[in-house]
Amino acid sequence: MTALLRANLPVLVVIAPLFIAFILTPLARRIRLVETLAFLATVLGLGAAGHLATVVFARRGSPFIYQLGGWPPPWGIELVAGNLGVIFALVVTGVSVPVVLFARGNLTAEVGDTGRVTRFYVLYLLLVGALAGMAVTNDLFNIYVLVEVVTLSCCGLVSARRHPRAAEAAFTYLILATLGSAFVLGGIGLIYMLTGHLNMGFAGQELGRVWPDYPHTVLLAVSFVIIGFGVKAAVFPLHVWLPDAHATAPSPASAILSGLAVKGYLLCLLKFLYGVFGGVLLRELAVHRILTLLGVAGIIAGSLLALTQEELKRRLAYSTVAQVGYLVLGGGLLNATGLTGALFYLASHAVIKATLFLAAGAIQAATGKSRIRELAGVGRKMPLTMAAFTIGSCGLIGLPLFFGFIGKWYLLVGSLEAGMILPVVAILAGSVLCAAYLLPVIRTAYFRPAPAVAWRDPGRPQKLALLLLATAVVVLGVRPGPFLELARKAAAELMAFV
Amino acid sequence: MRDFILKRAAALILPFIFVYGIYVILHGAVSPGGSFAGGIIVGLSFVAFATIYGIEKGKAKLPEQVLVWTESYGTLWYGLMGMVGLGRGVPFLANKLAGVDLGTPGTLASGGLIPLIGLGVGIRVASTIVTLFFTMMEEES
Amino acid sequence: MNELWPRLLVNYPYLAAAILFVIGTFTVLTHPNLFKKLLGINIMESAIFLTFVASGNIRGGVAPIRATANAEAVYINPLPSALMLTGIVVSVSVTAFALALIVRLYRVYGTTDLRRIVVRRKEVTGDDGFAQG
Repeated sequence: MTALLRANLPVLVVIAPLFIAFILTPLARRIRLVETLAFLATVLGLGAAGHLATVVFARRGSPFIYQLGGWPPPWGIELVAGNLGVIFALVVTGVSVPVVLFARGNLTAEVGDTGRVTRFYVLYLLLVGALAGMAVTNDLFNIYVLVEVVTLSCCGLVSARRHPRAAEAAFTYLILATLGSAFVLGGIGLIYMLTGHLNMGFAGQELGRVWPDYPHTVLLAVSFVIIGFGVKAAVFPLHVWLPDAHATAPSPASAILSGLAVKGYLLCLLKFLYGVFGGVLLRELAVHRILTLLGVAGIIAGSLLALTQEELKRRLAYSTVAQVGYLVLGGGLLNATGLTGALFYLASHAVIKATLFLAAGAIQAATGKSRIRELAGVGRKMPLTMAAFTIGSCGLIGLPLFFGFIGKWYLLVGSLEAGMILPVVAILAGSVLCAAYLLPVIRTAYFRPAPAVAWRDPGRPQKLALLLLATAVVVLGVRPGPFLELARKAAAELMAFV
Repeated sequence: MRDFILKRAAALILPFIFVYGIYVILHGAVSPGGSFAGGIIVGLSFVAFATIYGIEKGKAKLPEQVLVWTESYGTLWYGLMGMVGLGRGVPFLANKLAGVDLGTPGTLASGGLIPLIGLGVGIRVASTIVTLFFTMMEEES
Repeated sequence: MNELWPRLLVNYPYLAAAILFVIGTFTVLTHPNLFKKLLGINIMESAIFLTFVASGNIRGGVAPIRATANAEAVYINPLPSALMLTGIVVSVSVTAFALALIVRLYRVYGTTDLRRIVVRRKEVTGDDGFAQG
């Protein structure tokens, strides 16, 4: 039995949440059972991802290759669980557990009756399964399908809230995300026409051979892929849908959308740029310069926009735009240090943003207020929630000994290695701006007199979820060792293509 | 709708449309078409029934609970078919490798697990189409 | 430059796809009506499907079914068509979902025009913490 499990680990990470998602709908009347099953599904996913990590670790760098249906590449769909896949699968499943815990018994106010709550969980598990699929897949068309599953379930999660603004945000998101998918699919089509392969490894090799013959088509394919994933991952000038969607979604959905979904697209973008197009082509077309510039612009503009927001969740949503800038920047540096930083920061931002959004959701649910200046005294009335928020803020600002610091540090060193001064300025300015938009929240919450109303910390599962995430921010900040090693190896995997 | 001719004609035609949908689903492995196209045809036969005879009768024919079950378990069936080979140590979604008899090419039972998978997908697509239709009609009233 | 037009005409499916893609993108991005936006998306996706399917086609080729073709027949590539079937399924689901959202928005705002929705947002939803920051 264990041998059987071990042999099928890469696909189990993906199908465990999907399987359970499909038995949930008929159980809508027994909502407790649905919640427990959803929680179990994420725990199963985490277990599978953890086991996969140990297996891949024991293989010392050679990835765990799984051929669906036993068809070898280039014919069949291939799942490759290398260090890159493992780190992302761990992040996805790891963050999904506390978020689903937070949602437990807590959705009725935002989402509605049991049928709607069940649908929320179905979409949630589909999203988690598809994101885990993005981590391990090595097939171009498979990526497109997973991208669509993620997009549709994200839109469903945004529209789950019973509010006209949620429907509006979901529609904008759906239209722009589908626009992005069309671009991605167009890019995949062009790559397929040039190479005749859908397997990323084979397509990459073939593209390396033929691109001098078809310079314009390759340029078109690169720009399609960057625009497509750029829209979906909210890379700065293409971010317009994100604040509305992430601020109006139910809080657990905001956490997972900001923390994970956006990262999934970024991971796919990295896989395309490094695994398919390859470093030579990127340098030739100056794609890395464009990415660096987009990243710098994203950090500065996202942070400045966040600074002007009055509502807590919108401020956090704009902050996501800024943090995506860091990741794009790291992807564009084209050196191992920068990529290590980007991958590590991807993980830390997933955990930190989930903490912040869940804490913000708990505050909004307890107080009924969403504007920052109305939150005076929350810190004393809801100590645990606000403590989690503060720890998350410290992490996002990048204070030493918190999870966000090491990623930013590596990005900084990577920019210096690449000999670029603009990213260094942007990273430092981003941290300062981040402090400027998060610290006022904390000051208002702790140091302003509280009104005489009974605001309370949320229920037990919610507290546990916040505690888990906040602990992760601190523990992984103090002892990043194994995780950093994993990020370094994953970056080395990508750098092998440069 | 109280249209006599429409109702009689539908009563004659709809069963054949339904059976044709099943035919397309089952022959997906050997001819153009397949579970999605066939599922749409099956679903549309119910949609046509519900438009001609009224939503109430349509819902009586396919209660919501049935739709919920077919929709979920149709997809689950796909997954279970994928797991057939796992016990034999072959990967997920294996067909011939899992020891399934593939039969002679060109005949109905020549795809191994493919027609069975197609059946699950077809049922799922059909019930999704009907659910979508019912939901949209509800939204209006 | 002389041979540009003949080459374009030979590859007319790609030309048509490019034109459709631009029309679709333009409609999505500029049209204020939600339905038209959705149609634009569908046109865009059709353009992509056309590119894919055209890339698998060989003039004079036959469907790759061994039972019906003779030995020296040239088979077309069935893979792009099969992939596009998936693409079409996805596009159908996106369309259905978007239509459901449009219905929901219409019931709240009484219009499908984005400009009018923006105007009515304040009066319909009130100031409930979702004001534009």
